[in-house]
Amino acid sequence: MNITLNGVSRQISSPPLTPLLRVLRNELNVVSAKAGCEAGGCGACTVLVDGRPQRSCLTAVGSLNGAAVTTLEGLGTSENLSAVQQAFVHHYAAQCGFCTPGMVVAATAYLDAGGSDDKEAIQEALGGHVCRCTGYLKIVNAIAAAATQSEFDLTITAEEPNVVVKTGGR
Amino acid sequence: MKAVGARLPRYDGVGHVTGQTQFVDDVRVREMLWAKALRSPHHHAAITRMDTSKAEAMPGVEAVITHADVPLLEYGHLSALGIPADEPLLAKDEVRYKGQPIALVAAEDADTARAGVEAIEIDYEERPTLFDVRKAFDDDAPTVHRWGNWYPHFEGEMDRRQIRKGNIEEAFEAADTIVSGVYRPAAIEHAPLETQVSMVVPEPDGRLTVYSCTQALYFSLGVMAAHLQVPLNRLKVVGGTVGGGFGGKVDTASETVTALAAMKANRPVKWRWTREEEFLASSTRAPWHMEIIDAVTSDGWILGRKMLTLHDSGAYARFSPYGLTKHSFHHTGAYTIPNLHFDGYVVFTNRVPTTAMRGFGVTSVSFATETHMSRIADVLGLDPFEVRLKNANRINDTSPNMITYPDPSTVDVVLSIAEATDHSLDDAYMSMSRAQRSGDMLPEHLAAQIGEGHEHASLHALVHGVDNDSEGN
Repeated sequence: MNITLNGVSRQISSPPLTPLLRVLRNELNVVSAKAGCEAGGCGACTVLVDGRPQRSCLTAVGSLNGAAVTTLEGLGTSENLSAVQQAFVHHYAAQCGFCTPGMVVAATAYLDAGGSDDKEAIQEALGGHVCRCTGYLKIVNAIAAAATQSEFDLTITAEEPNVVVKTGGR
Repeated sequence: MKAVGARLPRYDGVGHVTGQTQFVDDVRVREMLWAKALRSPHHHAAITRMDTSKAEAMPGVEAVITHADVPLLEYGHLSALGIPADEPLLAKDEVRYKGQPIALVAAEDADTARAGVEAIEIDYEERPTLFDVRKAFDDDAPTVHRWGNWYPHFEGEMDRRQIRKGNIEEAFEAADTIVSGVYRPAAIEHAPLETQVSMVVPEPDGRLTVYSCTQALYFSLGVMAAHLQVPLNRLKVVGGTVGGGFGGKVDTASETVTALAAMKANRPVKWRWTREEEFLASSTRAPWHMEIIDAVTSDGWILGRKMLTLHDSGAYARFSPYGLTKHSFHHTGAYTIPNLHFDGYVVFTNRVPTTAMRGFGVTSVSFATETHMSRIADVLGLDPFEVRLKNANRINDTSPNMITYPDPSTVDVVLSIAEATDHSLDDAYMSMSRAQRSGDMLPEHLAAQIGEGHEHASLHALVHGVDNDSEGN
């Protein structure tokens, strides 16, 4: 069977009942989707299947023949970050980073479907995505910002510190 | 100071949002085996028989590790400080908490490893359990640890962390009222999104490369080297990218056993805990039992505090003696109480061992002391801000363990909270500062004990079992 992964057709040899998450990570070595719970409870493994967010740990790969699967790797590169990716950096919405792939994928789907900067709607759309670091506020703020803005300032405004290496005694 | 006030994006932010950040589970190596653990299904039991031969004979199983494979079976998390070890890396003849690891099976894939675990034959004889620290001291309580039900090695030989300061009897005689409270915050699982995971790769030069999610890389290095009885230069620990820790990845949870499997199979091995294992068997913040009895004056000065703390260590000591010590240093909160009588016990139960979490030992006592400050205000019918401001630390006050505060910020913090919450205070309180207590600010009970010029001559501080030079934070 075949899936189109991030725009590239890929042959799958894993048995059809293998969870998509394991196929991505173990067969295809695409590792942005994370195994946070492998029970559909945390959202860290979320990918897009034909544009819709789906828990890859609960998705049997056999159900995806011919489908288009998009992981975080397919949304933007470090040289060409999407608005959501920029917003997450600018608003400090990625802390330890483990939930971030699922968050960015789900946020992208929300905005692609016409989602607004309404924070309650964002919370509803991201429901079931667990983050233990940020307290969610920064994530919701980032997505709300990305709803109305496509470029974010990621530059460092501090001057380079003057590091003077001294030799000898203090 | 150019960084102060500047916008500094996270150095790892772009890696996180593009999926390029490499967590332990993302590292790819060839020929890697997956590991699964046999864990105790009982809270407390003797292991009467274990036979791993069927597991070892299974096709695809490359290594089975038990206690017999560990060069130094017991090494405590505080062993480097001279504290005796009490916890085997893998259980030998007794399991003391549900989920305690007994054996590890490394196999070609996770399903085979799981089948290998199920093929291990093991018999248990269940033993009585203890889950409530309050019952640990009862005559008929089951004994759950070989040292007894509480840690007996403070300063080598004391069975409690004890602080005595001032004259507690005089404080209670002088009190107008006694205000007591019991505070029992529950255990909390850190629940990081990344479960405990490690991968160990045997290198051609005989070294081991250890990919670890540890929060304490050099600490884990020492613990591993001790158990494995190898010099430090045999181990290359790769860490620094932690998928959430919050204190729960300070314990060296998986690396050492994974290393033993990698050495035995001479193949890379990964051991990644399932979410269920993380909740069942990874360490938690401790449940604490705290009893506070304060001698107070009717105008809100705290003359003395008696406190009893029972710290639930779970089945083994790990860092708990350290956590309780920090706790004891902070048992007056951000306030100065001149007369203290503190007893704290590290109590063993058949719960999962407890560990650091965001202010080890201090967060729990802060919850108790701050709740108690408000309780004192309630009982006396006073403003809780005023009670806090009166008793707040001032310059040159001393902590329970006799550390002098050179510049305490309690007064400023309480006043900013009052301002932020539009809480109005009389000028007498608004004009308070962190300056040394003197004049009108020196109440009778402190005047008698501290006197003018902060001579500590009549402050009979007697702090047992506390190194006055050790950290006070």
